[in-house]
Amino acid sequence: MGLNYLASLSHFVPELLACVTMFGLILIEATYKEEHKERGLFFFAAYIGFASVLTFLCLNLKHEAVAIFTNSAVIDPFSTLLKIVMVLGTMGATYLVSQSKDIEGNLRPEFTIMATGVLVGGMLLSSANNMLLLYIGIETLSILSYVLASLKKSDDRSSEAGLKYSLYGGISAGIMLFGMSHIFGVLGTINFTEIGVALQELTTVQVAILLPSFLLFLAGLGYKIACVPFHMWSPDVYEGSPIPVTTFFSVVPKVAGLAALIRITTVFFSHEGAMNMGWVGILSVIAALTMTVGNISAIGQRSVKRMLAYSSISHAGVMLLGILVISEVGIRSVVFYAITYLFMNLVAFYIVSFVNDKYGNDHFERFNGLIYRYPVMSIMMAITMFSLAGLPPFSGFVAKFHIFNAIVIKKYYVLAIIAGLNSVISMYYYMKIIRLMVLKPAESEEQISGFSLLNQGIIVSLTVPVLFLGIFWEKIMLVATNAKIFLE
Amino acid sequence: MQASSNLLNWILWMPFIGVLGILFIPKAKETAIRVWSLINTTVTFALTLVLYAKFDTTVPGMQVPFNISVPWIKSFNIFYKLGVDGISLPMIVLTGLLFLICVLSSWTVKKQVKAYFALFLFLQSTVFGVFFAMDFFLFYVYWEVMLIPMFFLIGIWGGENREYAAVKFFLYTFLGSILMLVGMVALYYASGKGIDSFDILALQGGKFSDLTLTIFGATFSFAKLFFVFLFIGFAIKVPVFPFHTWLPHAHVQAPTAISVILAGVLLKMGTYGFLRIAFPIFPEATIYFSDAIAWLGLINVIYGAFCAMAQTDVKKLVAYSSVSHMGFVMLGLAALTVTGVNGAVLQMFNHGTSTAMMFLMIGVLYERSHHRWIVRPDGSKGFGGLYTQLPKFSIIFIIAMFASMGLPGLSGFISEALIFLGIYERFTTITVLALLGLLLGAAYLLWMFKRMFFGDVIEECKSYTDMNAREIFYMLPLCVAVIVFGIYPSPVLDVMRASVGNLVSMLAKF
Repeated sequence: MGLNYLASLSHFVPELLACVTMFGLILIEATYKEEHKERGLFFFAAYIGFASVLTFLCLNLKHEAVAIFTNSAVIDPFSTLLKIVMVLGTMGATYLVSQSKDIEGNLRPEFTIMATGVLVGGMLLSSANNMLLLYIGIETLSILSYVLASLKKSDDRSSEAGLKYSLYGGISAGIMLFGMSHIFGVLGTINFTEIGVALQELTTVQVAILLPSFLLFLAGLGYKIACVPFHMWSPDVYEGSPIPVTTFFSVVPKVAGLAALIRITTVFFSHEGAMNMGWVGILSVIAALTMTVGNISAIGQRSVKRMLAYSSISHAGVMLLGILVISEVGIRSVVFYAITYLFMNLVAFYIVSFVNDKYGNDHFERFNGLIYRYPVMSIMMAITMFSLAGLPPFSGFVAKFHIFNAIVIKKYYVLAIIAGLNSVISMYYYMKIIRLMVLKPAESEEQISGFSLLNQGIIVSLTVPVLFLGIFWEKIMLVATNAKIFLE
Repeated sequence: MQASSNLLNWILWMPFIGVLGILFIPKAKETAIRVWSLINTTVTFALTLVLYAKFDTTVPGMQVPFNISVPWIKSFNIFYKLGVDGISLPMIVLTGLLFLICVLSSWTVKKQVKAYFALFLFLQSTVFGVFFAMDFFLFYVYWEVMLIPMFFLIGIWGGENREYAAVKFFLYTFLGSILMLVGMVALYYASGKGIDSFDILALQGGKFSDLTLTIFGATFSFAKLFFVFLFIGFAIKVPVFPFHTWLPHAHVQAPTAISVILAGVLLKMGTYGFLRIAFPIFPEATIYFSDAIAWLGLINVIYGAFCAMAQTDVKKLVAYSSVSHMGFVMLGLAALTVTGVNGAVLQMFNHGTSTAMMFLMIGVLYERSHHRWIVRPDGSKGFGGLYTQLPKFSIIFIIAMFASMGLPGLSGFISEALIFLGIYERFTTITVLALLGLLLGAAYLLWMFKRMFFGDVIEECKSYTDMNAREIFYMLPLCVAVIVFGIYPSPVLDVMRASVGNLVSMLAKF
């Protein structure tokens, strides 16, 4: 099934294009002089680059799954679809960077360049079909993320975020590598497909070694998607980083990590057995904890950004539910969830970012009476919040509904109930914003410059899918259903 | 039949057309917004009357000519499916009537008129959706969407403590509906018998009796477990003790019209849910739990009455009286006899009219007094001698009060009598104890009446003006309803008889 290198490259065009974009951006940035504040050409080039990556990804979506580079990577519709989500997320964050006041001057192009690098890492990660490529993907993603987190060098919080991120990240990568080496030691291969086959026939001794080694392996991935108990870094990093960076972190690395986890779970553990039971059991506990801890921690937050950070932990928990059922229904639910989550998150972070730019902080009180000044923006925010909490007829509900479906088919009723109760808890804090926006009197009549007509238009157009996918979701669901995972 | 077959669509979407219309009226033209809303709700009400007129009372089950079924999500067999039967029709007409009256009663709303009426009409559309939906998924969507306008209507236009009330109402109902969602999805898959559908009618008839499921090694009956889930979801809405704690807050804080809608229509959605979904889908669990439901109903009756008696805020008193009266509905449902269920559905309708009157009257009074204390916190009287000051008001109030109390000749009496007839053979003890609830009901209402309307006229009350023409005008239809249906309930009873008979005979098989 292996293709030769040249043939492999032809399937690898989006990744290559992303690399070219990154290097091109570095060159363009180098031509700017210090006093050039506006970098119109730079961002124009960035969008062109992203758009071309998107185009090729969309073309790839129709292709059959292939294994390339001697089976070390897989280009299948599943990874391609999630790559599309990642590229869109990067584009969204890039636009926010060009508008936000949180990051200024030189830092804007720096962000864009490094975000493109993270994107490349994420694309590798979601396509990885052997342990090494997976590790390279994770590291590419992580190392650039550490830099992104500490982007504002003069800001203490930002430096702290970067340091924390890299410490945690370094340790978890080490643990993961340790786990990988055991897996290789026992099974003698690093290729996912071969591991999947080998895992079907194991001796008791092998199981005894493999279970803990997979647990160590999971620690590395769990860290990337910030699931409990590997989540400690996430709120601090999310809060310390500038808002556009947080926006980026909440989508791209998370989706990449989930993609890798889905691939591993599906390829390795589709067959009944001790390993399968162990893996699903661990994931169930982690998922339940992730949802609950994320939500409960979100309740008490003062900063909206931090609240969204915690809530993104709990969303990762919900997506884990779709993964641990190990079924096609589960995978398509997670893919759909990721798509809707992208839009909801972008809208929420855009609005928080513009409010933050105005007042210098994003405490809940800053949203008081927003509806009397910016009715359209407030309605968009309200829709997004209701949607994040899972209220029909918004897409967040449909996403949750599909996850519920996936776990109820497997008869995991307890998990379904836990997920349901968490939905109620999350409604409480999401509603807090709506409550403040609508029910409190406005603090001031000042204009928020971020809400220019163009930005409002962009926010509205990002909200359209949130509403539309809540009512007519069949087409997208079809796309998600077709996004099959490559299985040899 | 092509012409009439779209009637349900028209009723369902007419208020939505109203919302769209309001969006195009400039904010400043408040009268135009009010008039437009009035026209819109009038047309809607007229359409519900058309539906009533065309309704075939001999047909048990769904009225086929009105059915609408359009595929919505094919991969899940979800349909946009509307239907009407004898159980939902009284609720639909009631909804049409109450929203029309509430638009008139909301004429004096000054704050954010445009948003108010837009949300109000939106609410009406979602309420119709709940009563029409014949697909569980569609039902769920409407059930949830309804929370959004309710949240804002209580939260923006409510009383002092409105935020707390709105949030509590929202979260409580959301909690219930999440349990319902799990039950709903489980139903879809548990069928395992080639149903794979959210169609309420297809799920009916005890198809899940022999299923079991295992949770952590313990085996549960599928039907019983998920009946409890659905029960809690609906019970929160009714509200059944101990899930009632949101209600006093929501009622007291909500503006008058919203209290009316809440008590008149929204509470009934809970009991309607039992009749439409929980009972027919899990008949064997219904029989199994009917004792428990009856006892919960009894607790509602007695507990609600005692709570009402202790209130010093007249609106809270009426709110608790709703808890008590919904207890009667639960009793009638638990009876599982034709008479009892007929009584329960009739009580749903009658309570809708009588409680609506009570809340409207309190609203009228509040516009004059700006407080609702029967006895103020400092011990002085809040009202006194209203009877001499406001004769017209007093007469209508008396009608409302007696209807609510269940005085023979007024509507409450007939439904309560039917309920008692229905449950007597099954639950003798409960019947006797519930009769005590009637007595308590009379006690707290009369006591309240005595303190507010008789005695010395306190200084403050002398400045109150009597009801104006608009207020009398919108109270009249309800007065007529409670009196006419008290003497001659057949127009309502005839409509529901066949459907209720159908349901009860289906339950009787288990």
